[in-house]
Amino acid sequence: MTGQDERRVFCPVCSARFAPEGDLTEGDQVRCSICGQMLIVRACDNQWLGERRSMLSDDEIRDRVDGFAMIRGYGFNEMKEEIIDGLIGKRDAFGDFYCPCRLEQTPEYQCPCRPTRGGDVERDGRCHCGLFWKDSRER
Amino acid sequence: MTNEIKIFALSTCPYCKKTKRFLSEKGIDYEAVDVDLLTSSEQDDVLEEIEKLTGKRSFPVVIIGDEVIVGHNEDKLRQVLGL
Repeated sequence: MTGQDERRVFCPVCSARFAPEGDLTEGDQVRCSICGQMLIVRACDNQWLGERRSMLSDDEIRDRVDGFAMIRGYGFNEMKEEIIDGLIGKRDAFGDFYCPCRLEQTPEYQCPCRPTRGGDVERDGRCHCGLFWKDSRER
Repeated sequence: MTNEIKIFALSTCPYCKKTKRFLSEKGIDYEAVDVDLLTSSEQDDVLEEIEKLTGKRSFPVVIIGDEVIVGHNEDKLRQVLGL
């Protein structure tokens, strides 16, 4: 692999490419710097593809939301567990961890949803669901 | 309180659950519709009604007579229901 693609990994959760630190080797585990998902790196057609670790398990979504909050410096409040239960309910009813507070079941609303990845928390202080908070002391 | 209470909700939404729980704990009857569990055509009809009432697609929507409450709002529920 050469050029920019050499360093970038495709994340299937946020459908974007990110550049992890250090050299990549098949089977490495990296966290998507955009959505927080843990991925196993696979070489495919001259590019790096991320495979979701623990795909669709309860642990996957817990790790993803914790990872996203860590990357962005966001906090949670007392609703965290109820919202995670909602995300698990979405997976059970609709096949993946879509935003539990929206009707849509589309990739753009995989948690953390695109508006949240795009800066809703910076602008509004919280995401649509109130899972991620700019300041965890706020409610 | 004689008004019928209707709630449009999502089955996965924690705030919708809180609203239902709040009313149940107060012993208040209501009719709840989980919009995400409806068929596509039923969903279209309900969404049209919700958008007419609220101008958006946000849940829960609580309808008490002429009052429409969007989101989980215990203070507003208490006020409208005279609790």
